[in-house]
Amino acid sequence: MADPLLSSLKIASSGLQAQSTRMRIVSENIANAQTTGTTPGSDPYQRKMVSFQSELDRVSGAQMVSVDKVNRDDSPFILESDPGNPAANADGYVKMPNVRMLVEMADMREANRSYEANIQVVKQAREIINMTIDLLRS
Amino acid sequence: MDSLYIFGLASQRTSYLAQRQTLVAENVANVDTPGYTSKDLSSFAEALDATELRMAQSQSMHLASLDGLSSTSDVITETPWSVKHSGNSVSLPQEMLKAGEVSREYALGTSVVKSFHRMLIMSAKG
Repeated sequence: MADPLLSSLKIASSGLQAQSTRMRIVSENIANAQTTGTTPGSDPYQRKMVSFQSELDRVSGAQMVSVDKVNRDDSPFILESDPGNPAANADGYVKMPNVRMLVEMADMREANRSYEANIQVVKQAREIINMTIDLLRS
Repeated sequence: MDSLYIFGLASQRTSYLAQRQTLVAENVANVDTPGYTSKDLSSFAEALDATELRMAQSQSMHLASLDGLSSTSDVITETPWSVKHSGNSVSLPQEMLKAGEVSREYALGTSVVKSFHRMLIMSAKG
Protein backbone atom coordinates (compact mmCIF):
# COMPACT_ATOMS: atom_id res chain seq x y z
CA MET A 1 0.00 0.00 0.00
CA ALA A 2 1.23 3.45 -0.83
CA ASP A 3 2.20 5.85 1.92
CA PRO A 4 -1.01 7.55 3.10
CA LEU A 5 0.67 10.93 3.60
CA LEU A 6 2.05 10.99 0.08
CA SER A 7 -1.30 9.94 -1.33
CA SER A 8 -2.99 12.71 0.62
CA LEU A 9 -0.67 15.16 -1.13
CA LYS A 10 -1.71 13.63 -4.43
CA ILE A 11 -5.41 13.85 -3.60
CA ALA A 12 -5.09 17.49 -2.58
CA SER A 13 -3.31 18.32 -5.82
CA SER A 14 -6.11 16.67 -7.81
CA GLY A 15 -8.47 18.95 -5.90
CA LEU A 16 -6.35 21.97 -6.82
CA GLN A 17 -6.44 20.92 -10.46
CA ALA A 18 -10.22 20.52 -10.46
CA GLN A 19 -10.82 23.86 -8.76
CA SER A 20 -8.52 25.71 -11.14
CA THR A 21 -10.42 24.25 -14.10
CA ARG A 22 -13.58 25.59 -12.50
CA MET A 23 -11.90 28.98 -12.17
CA ARG A 24 -11.04 28.88 -15.88
CA ILE A 25 -14.65 28.23 -16.81
CA VAL A 26 -15.79 31.12 -14.60
CA SER A 27 -13.35 33.47 -16.27
CA GLU A 28 -14.50 32.31 -19.72
CA ASN A 29 -18.07 33.11 -18.72
CA ILE A 30 -17.18 36.55 -17.38
CA ALA A 31 -15.02 37.42 -20.38
CA ASN A 32 -17.84 36.47 -22.75
CA ALA A 33 -20.62 38.13 -20.77
CA GLN A 34 -21.30 40.55 -23.65
CA THR A 35 -20.51 38.29 -26.59
CA THR A 36 -23.44 38.38 -29.00
CA GLY A 37 -23.88 36.57 -32.28
CA THR A 38 -22.88 38.17 -35.57
CA THR A 39 -25.87 37.55 -37.82
CA PRO A 40 -29.40 38.88 -37.12
CA GLY A 41 -31.27 36.75 -34.56
CA SER A 42 -28.32 34.41 -33.96
CA ASP A 43 -27.53 32.87 -30.57
CA PRO A 44 -24.94 34.55 -28.34
CA TYR A 45 -22.35 32.90 -26.08
CA GLN A 46 -23.91 30.19 -23.93
CA ARG A 47 -22.85 30.01 -20.29
CA LYS A 48 -20.73 27.00 -19.33
CA MET A 49 -20.95 24.98 -16.13
CA VAL A 50 -18.43 22.54 -14.71
CA SER A 51 -19.27 19.38 -12.76
CA PHE A 52 -16.98 17.14 -10.75
CA GLN A 53 -16.79 13.42 -10.15
CA SER A 54 -14.70 11.39 -7.76
CA GLU A 55 -12.48 8.78 -9.30
CA LEU A 56 -10.58 5.94 -7.67
CA ASP A 57 -6.82 6.02 -8.03
CA ARG A 58 -6.00 2.33 -8.35
CA VAL A 59 -2.37 2.65 -7.25
CA SER A 60 -3.04 4.25 -3.86
CA GLY A 61 -6.71 3.28 -3.45
CA ALA A 62 -7.58 6.92 -2.86
CA GLN A 63 -10.66 8.78 -4.07
CA MET A 64 -9.29 11.58 -6.22
CA VAL A 65 -11.43 14.24 -7.84
CA SER A 66 -11.59 15.19 -11.48
CA VAL A 67 -13.65 17.34 -13.78
CA ASP A 68 -16.52 15.23 -15.07
CA LYS A 69 -17.64 17.38 -17.96
CA VAL A 70 -18.30 20.96 -18.94
CA ASN A 71 -21.99 21.42 -19.65
CA ARG A 72 -23.78 24.31 -21.28
CA ASP A 73 -26.39 26.24 -19.35
CA ASP A 74 -29.72 25.93 -21.19
CA SER A 75 -31.46 28.77 -19.40
CA PRO A 76 -33.05 31.34 -21.77
CA PHE A 77 -31.00 34.22 -23.16
CA ILE A 78 -31.62 37.76 -21.99
CA LEU A 79 -33.32 39.95 -24.63
CA GLU A 80 -32.17 43.53 -24.94
CA SER A 81 -33.48 46.22 -27.21
CA ASP A 82 -30.63 47.47 -29.41
CA PRO A 83 -31.79 47.99 -33.03
CA GLY A 84 -28.37 49.17 -34.21
CA ASN A 85 -26.63 45.95 -33.27
CA PRO A 86 -25.75 43.60 -36.17
CA ALA A 87 -27.21 40.70 -34.18
CA ALA A 88 -30.58 42.40 -33.67
CA ASN A 89 -33.62 40.53 -35.00
CA ALA A 90 -36.47 42.04 -36.98
CA ASP A 91 -38.04 43.59 -33.84
CA GLY A 92 -34.76 45.21 -32.80
CA TYR A 93 -33.99 42.83 -29.96
CA VAL A 94 -30.55 41.32 -29.37
CA LYS A 95 -30.03 38.02 -27.55
CA MET A 96 -27.45 38.58 -24.80
CA PRO A 97 -25.59 35.67 -23.13
CA ASN A 98 -27.26 33.99 -20.13
CA VAL A 99 -24.31 34.93 -17.90
CA ARG A 100 -25.21 36.58 -14.61
CA MET A 101 -22.34 38.38 -12.95
CA LEU A 102 -23.56 37.73 -9.42
CA VAL A 103 -23.75 33.97 -10.02
CA GLU A 104 -20.28 33.97 -11.55
CA MET A 105 -18.83 35.92 -8.63
CA ALA A 106 -20.41 33.52 -6.15
CA ASP A 107 -19.03 30.57 -8.10
CA MET A 108 -15.60 32.18 -8.11
CA ARG A 109 -15.64 32.71 -4.35
CA GLU A 110 -16.64 29.11 -3.85
CA ALA A 111 -13.83 27.86 -6.09
CA ASN A 112 -11.45 30.10 -4.18
CA ARG A 113 -12.55 28.70 -0.85
CA SER A 114 -12.21 25.08 -1.96
CA TYR A 115 -8.79 25.84 -3.43
CA GLU A 116 -7.65 27.31 -0.13
CA ALA A 117 -8.90 24.28 1.76
CA ASN A 118 -6.87 22.01 -0.51
CA ILE A 119 -3.78 24.17 0.00
CA GLN A 120 -4.31 23.85 3.74
CA VAL A 121 -4.33 20.06 3.43
CA VAL A 122 -1.08 20.12 1.47
CA LYS A 123 0.54 22.34 4.11
CA GLN A 124 -0.59 20.09 6.88
CA ALA A 125 0.56 16.86 5.23
CA ARG A 126 3.96 18.46 4.71
CA GLU A 127 4.06 19.49 8.36
CA ILE A 128 3.28 15.93 9.48
CA ILE A 129 5.97 14.49 7.19
CA ASN A 130 8.44 16.99 8.67
CA MET A 131 7.49 15.94 12.19
CA THR A 132 8.36 12.35 11.30
CA ILE A 133 11.68 13.34 9.76
CA ASP A 134 12.47 15.40 12.86
CA LEU A 135 12.46 12.18 14.87
CA LEU A 136 15.78 11.33 13.25
CA ARG A 137 17.30 14.64 14.24
CA SER A 138 16.86 14.44 17.99
CA MET B 1 12.55 -2.95 29.16
CA ASP B 2 9.60 -5.33 28.66
CA SER B 3 7.15 -2.72 29.74
CA LEU B 4 8.12 -0.30 26.97
CA TYR B 5 5.41 -0.91 24.38
CA ILE B 6 5.53 2.74 23.69
CA PHE B 7 7.38 2.58 20.38
CA GLY B 8 5.08 -0.02 18.85
CA LEU B 9 2.05 1.81 20.09
CA ALA B 10 3.33 5.16 18.81
CA SER B 11 4.08 3.82 15.35
CA GLN B 12 0.60 2.27 15.19
CA ARG B 13 -0.84 5.57 16.28
CA THR B 14 1.08 7.55 13.68
CA SER B 15 0.04 5.25 10.86
CA TYR B 16 -3.57 5.53 12.03
CA LEU B 17 -3.30 9.32 11.98
CA ALA B 18 -1.65 9.31 8.55
CA GLN B 19 -4.56 7.30 7.23
CA ARG B 20 -7.01 9.70 8.81
CA GLN B 21 -5.19 12.57 7.12
CA THR B 22 -5.66 10.81 3.77
CA LEU B 23 -9.39 10.62 4.38
CA VAL B 24 -9.48 14.32 5.27
CA ALA B 25 -7.67 15.07 2.01
CA GLU B 26 -10.19 12.93 0.09
CA ASN B 27 -13.12 14.73 1.70
CA VAL B 28 -11.67 18.18 1.02
CA ALA B 29 -10.82 17.35 -2.59
CA ASN B 30 -14.36 16.05 -3.15
CA VAL B 31 -16.06 19.00 -1.48
CA ASP B 32 -17.93 19.85 -4.70
CA THR B 33 -18.50 16.35 -6.07
CA PRO B 34 -22.24 15.59 -6.33
CA GLY B 35 -23.39 12.61 -4.29
CA TYR B 36 -20.15 12.19 -2.35
CA THR B 37 -20.52 11.24 1.32
CA SER B 38 -17.76 12.25 3.72
CA LYS B 39 -15.70 9.51 5.35
CA ASP B 40 -13.80 9.08 8.58
CA LEU B 41 -11.94 6.34 10.46
CA SER B 42 -13.39 4.64 13.51
CA SER B 43 -11.64 5.77 16.68
CA PHE B 44 -8.15 4.54 17.54
CA ALA B 45 -9.29 3.08 20.86
CA GLU B 46 -11.90 1.02 19.03
CA ALA B 47 -9.27 -0.24 16.62
CA LEU B 48 -7.01 -1.25 19.51
CA ASP B 49 -9.77 -2.97 21.46
CA ALA B 50 -10.97 -5.03 18.55
CA THR B 51 -9.42 -8.45 18.77
CA GLU B 52 -8.37 -9.46 15.37
CA LEU B 53 -8.44 -13.11 14.43
CA ARG B 54 -5.93 -14.00 11.81
CA MET B 55 -5.63 -17.19 9.89
CA ALA B 56 -2.77 -19.32 11.15
CA GLN B 57 -0.01 -19.99 8.66
CA SER B 58 0.94 -23.59 9.25
CA GLN B 59 2.35 -24.06 5.78
CA SER B 60 4.31 -21.80 3.52
CA MET B 61 1.68 -22.23 0.79
CA HIS B 62 -1.03 -20.61 2.92
CA LEU B 63 -2.11 -17.13 2.07
CA ALA B 64 -0.61 -14.53 4.36
CA SER B 65 -3.02 -12.17 6.04
CA LEU B 66 -2.74 -8.62 4.87
CA ASP B 67 -0.85 -6.39 7.21
CA GLY B 68 -1.38 -2.69 7.64
CA LEU B 69 -3.86 -0.87 9.77
CA SER B 70 -6.63 -0.90 7.20
CA SER B 71 -7.68 -4.30 8.47
CA THR B 72 -8.25 -3.03 11.99
CA SER B 73 -9.75 0.45 11.76
CA ASP B 74 -12.69 0.71 9.41
CA VAL B 75 -13.58 3.54 7.13
CA ILE B 76 -16.97 4.74 8.29
CA THR B 77 -19.43 7.25 6.93
CA GLU B 78 -19.37 10.01 9.48
CA THR B 79 -22.35 11.93 10.75
CA PRO B 80 -22.47 14.98 8.50
CA TRP B 81 -23.02 18.50 9.77
CA SER B 82 -25.01 19.36 6.70
CA VAL B 83 -25.99 17.81 3.38
CA LYS B 84 -26.10 19.94 0.25
CA HIS B 85 -28.73 19.68 -2.46
CA SER B 86 -26.34 17.73 -4.64
CA GLY B 87 -26.16 14.99 -1.98
CA ASN B 88 -22.66 15.99 -0.92
CA SER B 89 -22.16 15.78 2.84
CA VAL B 90 -18.66 17.29 3.22
CA SER B 91 -18.44 20.38 5.38
CA LEU B 92 -15.17 22.28 5.18
CA PRO B 93 -15.14 23.55 8.80
CA GLN B 94 -15.59 20.00 10.03
CA GLU B 95 -12.71 18.80 7.86
CA MET B 96 -10.45 21.62 9.04
CA LEU B 97 -11.30 20.70 12.63
CA LYS B 98 -10.36 17.11 11.95
CA ALA B 99 -7.14 18.16 10.23
CA GLY B 100 -6.18 20.20 13.28
CA GLU B 101 -6.92 17.24 15.51
CA VAL B 102 -4.75 14.95 13.40
CA SER B 103 -1.87 17.42 13.44
CA ARG B 104 -2.03 17.91 17.20
CA GLU B 105 -2.18 14.21 17.95
CA TYR B 106 0.63 13.50 15.53
CA ALA B 107 2.80 16.10 17.26
CA LEU B 108 2.01 14.48 20.59
CA GLY B 109 2.94 11.04 19.29
CA THR B 110 6.23 12.12 17.79
CA SER B 111 7.25 14.06 20.91
CA VAL B 112 6.50 11.06 23.11
CA VAL B 113 8.72 8.91 20.89
CA LYS B 114 11.39 11.59 20.94
CA SER B 115 11.47 11.87 24.71
CA PHE B 116 11.50 8.10 25.23
CA HIS B 117 14.27 7.82 22.69
CA ARG B 118 16.25 10.40 24.62
CA MET B 119 15.61 8.44 27.79
CA LEU B 120 16.96 5.25 26.23
CA ILE B 121 20.02 7.03 24.89
CA MET B 122 20.64 8.55 28.31
CA SER B 123 20.52 5.19 30.03
CA ALA B 124 22.79 3.67 27.39
CA LYS B 125 25.38 6.39 27.71
CA GLY B 126 25.19 6.39 31.49
